[in-house]
Amino acid sequence: MLVVRRRQGESLVIGEDVEVVILEAGPNRVKLGIMAPREVLVFRKELELTREQNRAAATADVLNVLGNLGVKRHV
Amino acid sequence: MPEATGDCRAHAEFPGARASGGGCAKSSGECQTRYFGVMEYSDDSIIRVPGGIPGFENEHEFILIDQPSHRPLVFFQSLHTPPLCFLALPVQSVDRSYQLRVSAEDLELLELDPSRQPKIGEEVMCLSFIASGEDHALSANLLSPIVINVRTRVALQAIQTECHYSHRHPLRAEEPEPVCS
Repeated sequence: MLVVRRRQGESLVIGEDVEVVILEAGPNRVKLGIMAPREVLVFRKELELTREQNRAAATADVLNVLGNLGVKRHV
Repeated sequence: MPEATGDCRAHAEFPGARASGGGCAKSSGECQTRYFGVMEYSDDSIIRVPGGIPGFENEHEFILIDQPSHRPLVFFQSLHTPPLCFLALPVQSVDRSYQLRVSAEDLELLELDPSRQPKIGEEVMCLSFIASGEDHALSANLLSPIVINVRTRVALQAIQTECHYSHRHPLRAEEPEPVCS
């Protein structure tokens, strides 16, 4: 992983046309501004984790779930 | 594999929205489900998810199947896609002290007061999807619970920011989750 130290107001360029600006840096969080072409998807990591986990949940083995939860296997 | 059992009925178990398999519902329909064959539902038991959920953005209507014999597990069944059915647990049965933090923006989408957090069990129902990993270990997604406005039955998946909850909170095997009433 590339680690870069930046101050408020400074920025990073990724590839040809993505720029990330540090707008605010506080003790617990930073506020970023992202300039990117429309076709570049930008989203929080939590959204990606949620999407992956939803897909895993949609294919969960129901008998395994019921068995492990100690629920009667009526399904 | 599935066979419908006698006591099985699609309903949303929250105040003011009692679904009925009988004649008192205004309008009803039938739904092919993943695990319980064809089930009856009333229009007032449909949970609407206007934005869909991540990975399934085109799914906007679900019913909640709650069978006494399977509690506290509930089945979040797509109304229009029979094979799509999520297994879920109320968050408070996974973590008794679960602190819900829904963003003001999501609260507005849920048609709730954006200035405060809603009460789980009173204003909202809060469900955590269950997944099983490759090793068959079960986990509950506490990072992004499904939050349902019990009055309007509008729902969304509220991704919790600024929290320490895991998208794969381990559920211990061979130990029934406590049922909270």
